[in-house]
Amino acid sequence: MSFREKTAWAMGAILIAAGIWYFQRVIGLSEALGETAAPNMRFVIGYIILVILASILVNVIIASSAGKEAEAPADERERAILDKAGHWSGYVLAVGAVAGLWHFSWLHDGNLLFHIIFGALMASQIAEYAFQIFLFRRGV
Amino acid sequence: MAKRPPIGNRIRELREQHDNMSQAALAEAIGVTRQTVIAIEQGRYSPSLESAFRISRVFGVGLEDVFSWLEPRDS
Repeated sequence: MSFREKTAWAMGAILIAAGIWYFQRVIGLSEALGETAAPNMRFVIGYIILVILASILVNVIIASSAGKEAEAPADERERAILDKAGHWSGYVLAVGAVAGLWHFSWLHDGNLLFHIIFGALMASQIAEYAFQIFLFRRGV
Repeated sequence: MAKRPPIGNRIRELREQHDNMSQAALAEAIGVTRQTVIAIEQGRYSPSLESAFRISRVFGVGLEDVFSWLEPRDS
């Protein structure tokens, strides 16, 4: 498995774990309040710090075992894969954004809009790594 | 599954003819990763024209001695 595929697996796992951590708190708080919880910057900043620290740790571990491969820039096939995965993940973000706007137009719940858009951002990042893994394995 | 490009190649055969050159050595010679050489050999990736020329120059042969267009089979 190439260095970039290992990184994609690791980043996907980190983002899924951090996303679960974030939404567990948002859902828990919403249930306690009996309505959609307002955006809580403590959770958002906690999510961002969790993702950054875990990413640094995991990337250092993977890079230390990959040797020269970790230092080399992406080659033409890897660049094509990264571009295509980034392009496809944009659709995931767009679908999430449209879903958020659709909900807002019906429910007029700005808090829900925030959570849907933030969730779509997370989902598009996870999807980007999933598409990368798919393309690394199946060809571009 | 991703559609395979209709391009065949003799890279494996040419590597064997060149002192069993490893995929890693070929990858380093043309400036790509070993996984990319594997993908090219297996027909899962069509290299850029530049990489195709680099591969043929490593083996000292022409482009069409390495790569060939695969005509679609009649079914």
